[in-house]
Amino acid sequence: MNTSAIKAIISKDVRAFTRDRFYLFMTFLGLAFYVGIFWFLPDTVNETIEMGISQQGLEAYFDTLVEEDGGLALASFESAEALESAIRSGDGPAVGLAFPSDFAASVADGAGTEVTLFVTSAVPAEVRGALSSMVREMAYLAAGNPALVVLPTETEILLGTDRAGDQASLQETMRPMFVFFMLMIEMMALATLVATEIQTRTVTAILVTPASVSDVLVAKAVLGTVLAFSQAVLLMALIGSFGANSLVLLFALLLGSILVTGFGLWAGSVGRDFLSIIYWSVLFLIPLIIPAIAVLFPGTAAAWVQAMPSWGLVEAIVGASAYGDGFGELAGPLTHLGIWCVAAFFAGMLALRRKVVRI
Amino acid sequence: MIRHIFRKDIALGPRSPLLLWALVLPVVLTLVIRVVFGSLFDSEPRLGIVDLGDSAVRVAAEDLEGISVSVLKDIETLRAQVESGNLDAGLVLQEGFDDLVANGDQPPLGFWMAGESLASDRIILGVTALDLIRTTSGIGSPVAVNIVPIGEEGLELSIRLLPLVVIMAVAIAGTMVPAASLVQEKERRTLSALLVSPATMRDVLAAKGILGVVLAVVTGVITLVMNDAFGQQAWTLVLAIAIGGVMMAEIGLMLGSWAPDTNTLFTAWKGGSILLLFPVIFTIWPTLPQWIAKLGPTYYFLQPIFDLSVNGATTSDVLGQLGIAAVICVALLPFVGMAGRSLERRLAGQTRPSPVAN
Repeated sequence: MNTSAIKAIISKDVRAFTRDRFYLFMTFLGLAFYVGIFWFLPDTVNETIEMGISQQGLEAYFDTLVEEDGGLALASFESAEALESAIRSGDGPAVGLAFPSDFAASVADGAGTEVTLFVTSAVPAEVRGALSSMVREMAYLAAGNPALVVLPTETEILLGTDRAGDQASLQETMRPMFVFFMLMIEMMALATLVATEIQTRTVTAILVTPASVSDVLVAKAVLGTVLAFSQAVLLMALIGSFGANSLVLLFALLLGSILVTGFGLWAGSVGRDFLSIIYWSVLFLIPLIIPAIAVLFPGTAAAWVQAMPSWGLVEAIVGASAYGDGFGELAGPLTHLGIWCVAAFFAGMLALRRKVVRI
Repeated sequence: MIRHIFRKDIALGPRSPLLLWALVLPVVLTLVIRVVFGSLFDSEPRLGIVDLGDSAVRVAAEDLEGISVSVLKDIETLRAQVESGNLDAGLVLQEGFDDLVANGDQPPLGFWMAGESLASDRIILGVTALDLIRTTSGIGSPVAVNIVPIGEEGLELSIRLLPLVVIMAVAIAGTMVPAASLVQEKERRTLSALLVSPATMRDVLAAKGILGVVLAVVTGVITLVMNDAFGQQAWTLVLAIAIGGVMMAEIGLMLGSWAPDTNTLFTAWKGGSILLLFPVIFTIWPTLPQWIAKLGPTYYFLQPIFDLSVNGATTSDVLGQLGIAAVICVALLPFVGMAGRSLERRLAGQTRPSPVAN
């Protein structure tokens, strides 16, 4: 392998990249755009139902409820009118319960009573239903009735890691998506460089120099990986992703960069011009982006999503940056990513080699 | 002559990735918005039920509003689904559960919560399950809840995103297809060849423009149909899309005449498209000052489309805005002509033989 030839090809390609207005513009625009959007996204998850309440004599019940369930936050109002007025003005909570002053006595006597639930259009149906249910249950027990069922204990009821108060925010779950789009821009830039070289036959000119086909392939692979990796690292740094597990994150990003370089070499080998490069790149992008979308939803991704080449990268980014997972916890996703990396990289190299040798 | 050029573009169109992209984009965007935005920001608590008998609780749960209920066959699957966070809670109804409750036997309740579930969802699912068990057992509560709605019902985010999908469909097809077609003709030098035939620059621009308008109307209509937004005023909607298509095609022709190559065209599009797209921001966030949206030319066909599709507006309600959009289209025509003449001059400069030294 001719190191000086590889260096010469890489420096030529870097110059070509910096002269390409579209990709240079898109790289900086993308970086600024994703960083801007990231800091606008919510960095916490609202797990609490904020509710106004107007009541007399029910303090003990509500204090216990708030203490037991972290998902409820109460604001007290002197009267039903004050509660309604606060909700109407938009300054107060979006939902409120107004209990009549004789609520406790009425339910204890078995006499019927009525509780008013004020709701704005922002309150989803399940919250309206749940608050109505809560009032009915409260009245049922306050009337001295026995519990209908025996509830499991707190330790029996909870399955899996308790993430209450420690949910991954939209900022954290969107990280893989941003990294992905950044990697895609660099993949398209590499594909365009390769396609232009093939179309203009520059590669033939390079091959009459001491540089061999292998030198050309290595140069493209190194350039693509460095371009993608540097952009991804810069983006992750700007969105504050590096913490205790930076090494895992860097390793995952390196593997991700090699993965998209493989696809970039492939797209560059089959694409003829700018538009066909975009076309091929988007064809690769659609399946690759699915795991990044899947992570936005709660629960485990379906098996077919977990089989996607980018699943390991997405899991590693979220695991390392949001939950502080290390190499041990992320061994599975990183192995998955590594296998796809090798496959995509060699497929890309093979496609490019065939193209270069043919012309 | 316009017809011949138009037919050539239609015949060669399917080979262009951009044309394919223009047709596929509305479908992809609609799916993304329906799937991602439809459920991501309005996600419902998910309850799984295993009914080992024939419980009325399960039947009533399936009718719950705002809670996604799945009925599973066995307890192991339910437990695994809750543990992995695919369900927020799981409820096991043992055989004869309803009778045991009604008889006051206080049966143990098989109920699990996912560690990954939100604290608010835990409250919702917990109290809802207990209330369901009580009401289906015929045991009343000494209280009635009177729900008082306050304020008007807002539109869902997926509906507010409709103008974004429409503008993307109309703009990509209407602007980018004629612009890219013109630029490619310049790059391949086929435009110069066309101009030595009886075809004039006006014919070329008209043919490319018509192609853009036709595609914009087709993709716009497809988008509205896919989003169930083709309301009562179908012909007015088509008219609004057609006016939008004309405006976008005119912008595409100016852009295509100016851009020397595809890279420059895409760079200009990526950088400048915000000027065309920004009115949709004001539909997505209706609390923003709406007068700013009126500064964008695309507002005058997007707002009528939104009003006709979603707000139940009639033709007479939107005629004023559509009139302004039509005036903008007419006002853009001289600029399209100027761009065409400028392009013609540049082409003439390129094809003129260079002076030969004697």
